[in-house]
Amino acid sequence: MCEAAEGSTTGNRGSSEVSLRTMGSGFRSREASSAPTSGGPGGGVVAPEAPALSRWGSGSPLTRLVRQREFGIIAVGVVLFAVFSLASSGTFDSFQTWGGIGSSAAELGIVSVGVGFLMISGEFDLSVGANFAFAALVMATMVHDGYPPIEGLLVDLGIGIGIGLLNGIVTVFLNIPSFIATLGTYFLWSAVVLIVTGGTTITILPPTPTLLNVLGGFIGDQMRSEILWWLGIALVVGVVLHRTVTGNWIYAIGGKRMAAREAGVAVARTRVLAFVLCGMLAAFAGAVQLAHLGSMSAGYGSAYQLEAIAASVVGGCALTGGRGSMVGIVVGTVILQMLASGLILSGVSPYWYQAVVGIIIIVAVAMHTRIGAVVHGAES
Amino acid sequence: MSAPTTNDEQEHAARGPLWLEARSITKQFGAVIALSDVDVSFSLGEVVGLIGDNGSGKSTFVKILSGVYQASSGSLLVEGKPVRFHSAADARAMGVETVHQDLGLVDSMSIARNFFLGAERRKGPFLDLKRMERETSAMLREIGLGNLRAIGQDVSRLSGGERQAISIGRAVAFQRKMLILDEPTSALSIQETEKVFEFMRAARDRGLAVLAVMHNLTQVRDVADRFVVFYHGRKIADIVNTGQSEQDLAHYIIEGKLAEMGIEREQVDMGVIRAITTE
Ligand SMILES: Nc1ncnc2c1ncn2[C@@H]1O[C@H](COP(=O)(O)OP(=O)(O)O)[C@@H](O)[C@H]1O
Ligand SMILES: [Mg+2]
Repeated sequence: MCEAAEGSTTGNRGSSEVSLRTMGSGFRSREASSAPTSGGPGGGVVAPEAPALSRWGSGSPLTRLVRQREFGIIAVGVVLFAVFSLASSGTFDSFQTWGGIGSSAAELGIVSVGVGFLMISGEFDLSVGANFAFAALVMATMVHDGYPPIEGLLVDLGIGIGIGLLNGIVTVFLNIPSFIATLGTYFLWSAVVLIVTGGTTITILPPTPTLLNVLGGFIGDQMRSEILWWLGIALVVGVVLHRTVTGNWIYAIGGKRMAAREAGVAVARTRVLAFVLCGMLAAFAGAVQLAHLGSMSAGYGSAYQLEAIAASVVGGCALTGGRGSMVGIVVGTVILQMLASGLILSGVSPYWYQAVVGIIIIVAVAMHTRIGAVVHGAES
Repeated sequence: MSAPTTNDEQEHAARGPLWLEARSITKQFGAVIALSDVDVSFSLGEVVGLIGDNGSGKSTFVKILSGVYQASSGSLLVEGKPVRFHSAADARAMGVETVHQDLGLVDSMSIARNFFLGAERRKGPFLDLKRMERETSAMLREIGLGNLRAIGQDVSRLSGGERQAISIGRAVAFQRKMLILDEPTSALSIQETEKVFEFMRAARDRGLAVLAVMHNLTQVRDVADRFVVFYHGRKIADIVNTGQSEQDLAHYIIEGKLAEMGIEREQVDMGVIRAITTE
């Protein structure tokens, strides 16, 4: 800790000169004391018991908390919650309301997990809304025609994976920016949905098959099982993102793709994987909405591509990739849904929703940039 | 000019056996021919200085040797056996470690995560972040960077010299047989440069093959045992360092240019050549 403090007071330029001055001699002493190393990559790292330097340098737990990238947006969420609780004279902070908010947010939340994950890798998927409707409509048609819902679900997931794979291949191997590639597939699949269904709504009620209950049935007063699917998926994908090599590579690719490649990261494979995950989750969200509503139509989910990007950005994902977190993505989604429900419960016209979302996006990004400047240095 | 002369400064362990050979390497990017028919061999215990104008193909060659790019044609041999580097991981596994021109660091990631990128420590299916942080601080301490503020902080907070040191530190920590540095000193002060050179000499004396791409002819004379000169994607010279002058080296670079323009060397005023070829 003392050394760390000394380094930071010396200033950037000074400390680098100090370090380089000792570099050569340090290397020689190492040579004298240890034989040339062998083993797998990294086999050469000798690790005497040296305590790891603290994660954020210094500061009390409170300072460190405040410096977390997600802190700002969680604070915004808390403020919004307080405002709506007061404005709705007590109905907003009830368990029922929150069950409802969570359930309504679940489909967008599941889509956002994929979109945010992909955004951290530096890519967009504008086709998630079309994917959502297309995959779920095929599932709805199958269930309507008497196929077992589980088969419908598998086909739904297969379609999502296929669409994601196509997006990934077009982006990665044809080297087309994903914004353009998925704008293209968005139009493509939107048209296919209309061609196939002729724009009709497919209803599969009654009776409600078991699988559909598992996906989107009630588990409480206002709460539906989809909230558990959302949080479960966020947890699993969050662990992958933050605690596995794949997640580490997603950050590296989004941060600086060439550096990742130079370090031996399997860049192409990992990028395609992110598209596939995003496509699969969009289709799964479609299945969940089908289970919830008992019907599906071409127009459902059509706003999700932009709302999912909004949720991710509000939650702290950098549009340019490399930064973001699963907590942020989930909180971003909750904030959007809180706005939608909170405005209604506070008696404000729902027409204001988009205006407020717009303002929140700008405020949130401004905040992330400022906090980023403190946490990560001036460049972010 | 043919036999190497050993003066005090140049004294080092004798050159070891041949390790890596690049044979007739050609690399095209669409219509651009970045390298054509390049042969270079690297021996253990030798520092090769690769020089040439901007755009002469030096970085492209480095990226082929380190598996980042694949040659359009030609082959690589390690200890006489043909090898294929499909990715940087393959080259690493064979023992080639590289500090690229852009340093290969991801600014938005922590020092520890950068250090182990592509060679992550795991505990079962999960990243072993604690161990990576511990080993990174141990390694940095060992190379004299122990006073770096915090292992968990992003690389974007570091100065140019610190980044360079981390990047080289990473290559040395994982070193095996060959260390490649692409323009390692271009952003450094004179003292910092000298330390990087010490690093390179120490690696050589430990029996590594070292390839250093250099822009500055004065500097390359100080550190290289052999010079390889590229011009427009071709190798136009491959000579032992016998203490040639800066101008001699400049001539190799400029000769390609002159030959292309149909001019004899004698026709050109030396002052002009110097002005063109040294910064
Ligand atoms: N990825 C690439 N795509 C297209 N052209 C490239 C690429 N990389 C390098 N080149 C071209 O190849 C030539 C050699 O570049 P480079 O190897 O970077 O030269 P140097 O390192 O000697 O300055 C240049 O003309 C450069 O524009
Ligand atoms: Mg270069």
